[in-house]
Amino acid sequence: MKAQASETSALVASNLTKVIGKRTIVDSVSFQLRAGEVFGFLGPNGAGKTTTIRMLVGLIRPTAGSVKICGYDVRHQFEDAMRCIGCIVETPDLYRFMTGRENLEHFARMLHVGDSDIERVARIVGLSHRLDQRVREYSLGMRQRLGIAQALLGHPRLLILDEPANGLDPAGIREIRELLRGLAATGLSVFVSSHLLAEIELMCDRVAIIHKGKILRDGTVRDLISSQRAMEFHVTDVARASALLQERNVPFTPNHDRLFLPIEERDAAPIIRTLIDNGVDVFSARPRVQTLEEMFIDVTGGESVD
Amino acid sequence: MINLIQNETIKLLRRRRFAIVIGILVAILAIVSYSQYRQLREQRNRNWRAEIQQRVANYQNTLRRGRINPSWQRSLRAEINRLQFYLDHDIEPDKPTAPIFVRTFANVAGFLLLPLLVGVLGSDIVSAENAEGTDKLLLTRPVRRWKILTSKLITLWMFATLTLFCGAVLSYLISAPVLPRGGWNAPMFTGFTITRAGFKADTIRQLPLWNDTLIAYGLEWYALLTVASIALMLSVIFRSSAASIGTMLASLIGGTIITRISPDWTAGKYLFVSALPLADYYTGEPPPYDGMTMTFCIGLLGVWAIATTIVAYVLFTRRDVFG
Repeated sequence: MKAQASETSALVASNLTKVIGKRTIVDSVSFQLRAGEVFGFLGPNGAGKTTTIRMLVGLIRPTAGSVKICGYDVRHQFEDAMRCIGCIVETPDLYRFMTGRENLEHFARMLHVGDSDIERVARIVGLSHRLDQRVREYSLGMRQRLGIAQALLGHPRLLILDEPANGLDPAGIREIRELLRGLAATGLSVFVSSHLLAEIELMCDRVAIIHKGKILRDGTVRDLISSQRAMEFHVTDVARASALLQERNVPFTPNHDRLFLPIEERDAAPIIRTLIDNGVDVFSARPRVQTLEEMFIDVTGGESVD
Repeated sequence: MINLIQNETIKLLRRRRFAIVIGILVAILAIVSYSQYRQLREQRNRNWRAEIQQRVANYQNTLRRGRINPSWQRSLRAEINRLQFYLDHDIEPDKPTAPIFVRTFANVAGFLLLPLLVGVLGSDIVSAENAEGTDKLLLTRPVRRWKILTSKLITLWMFATLTLFCGAVLSYLISAPVLPRGGWNAPMFTGFTITRAGFKADTIRQLPLWNDTLIAYGLEWYALLTVASIALMLSVIFRSSAASIGTMLASLIGGTIITRISPDWTAGKYLFVSALPLADYYTGEPPPYDGMTMTFCIGLLGVWAIATTIVAYVLFTRRDVFG
């Protein structure tokens, strides 16, 4: 069953570990990407995000663990594995002294694909009319798109993009998001790292949160958020309300004039009745959906995001 | 592999390195041909036999006075014998013609200029990709790392060859308008061997100039391939273009200085720069250290080329590529 799962997975990272000197930079990181899935990889600076990505694409040799792309081991079947992916690692650095077209031709020759594919990817990222300009003259957004075009050249089954929204204006970010969702709809898997939590929330099906080299959470965006669901009560007398809830063994967290209870909305009615019957007025009771950002700060101990 | 070599060639040309190299060659050759032209004009009416006899007499006087160090004595004796040989056979040496200019270029440029130019061409063929961040893309394509490095090495060798070829062709094209154009069949005397015993004339070969030129360029070509291999290793070791090109130029110039000013430090003969002027040694210029036969020099350069290439491949295929 498990073997079958890894065969259909676009990407399987198992127990990836990188130790440099005495420092463990990445510690037993495992995750899987299914076909057509957009997977978000989230972590503060220095969490091991980039090292993990570099291990995925074979730039860094893992101290332990393995990476399989479309069933091919990155270390032992490098060429087969790389034929399945397109990637941008960190910044979309291309040859600045060449034009966009020359850059695409350069990589097309490495992939044995032709001019029709160059036209195709240029159209997908909307660069057809700027292709004969030198990359030196491109804006960061255009370079980002040329990077994605390059990544799409070889008809990959998996895209690995490091911070694809970096340096883009809001319209550009939205464009990239729609582009990636569109590509995922055609069955392409997308691995995205980002520091823009809102972006990940909008773009990704599943998210892994990495901190200090370890994966802290891994799940669908919906599950991760709903696991943190709570009802927020705004009441007149927090002390008295707390006492009442304690008597009835209801778990809660007080915060100024509010109480947070880890319950569903439909279970709030009896609590409200109890409070009012015992002389505590309730100004409001509303579900509080934690954003990914709040959850992120919770699990990483409040360290700033990238 | 052809595709990869095509990529590397395009990148090398687009970085304008080769244009700079050709520019430097043209500038230097133009100045030198002009000075040769001046020399030719001044010498038109000279009596070369008298001049050479005078030079031989001067050297003999110096020797008779003594108190000069043994290696200087040796080379003086060699020079006297060489000049005497020309006198005996009634051949005017040093007469500038375009073919001789081409032939001399192999010696004069071979010991420093051409290696420097190859260093400029090649010392950042890998490090520039590191510096520009393009290595991340290049190494995540479905091509093994050793193939990438091989394509870079072959491209470097191609351009080293092309640089030498352009040097030969340009030196003819630039000198031909101002110097006598013919003379490819003029006899050349090579193989003046200097040993501890003195000058040996029995190893002297007489070859037509074109044949002699081919041999000199062939030796120079071999030396330049070695330089290209060393440049490749430096470009793998260093992560910035400036560091790798700087180290290459410094080791060429520094090594040349060391071999010229401290001939007593005999370990210096194992430096690749001491073996680099193969064309000079072929002509009869004494190498800076004893025991440096032509076979030794060719072997030494071969060892350097192989060793540096191995280091380059091991480092390049195994190392982790960090940001």
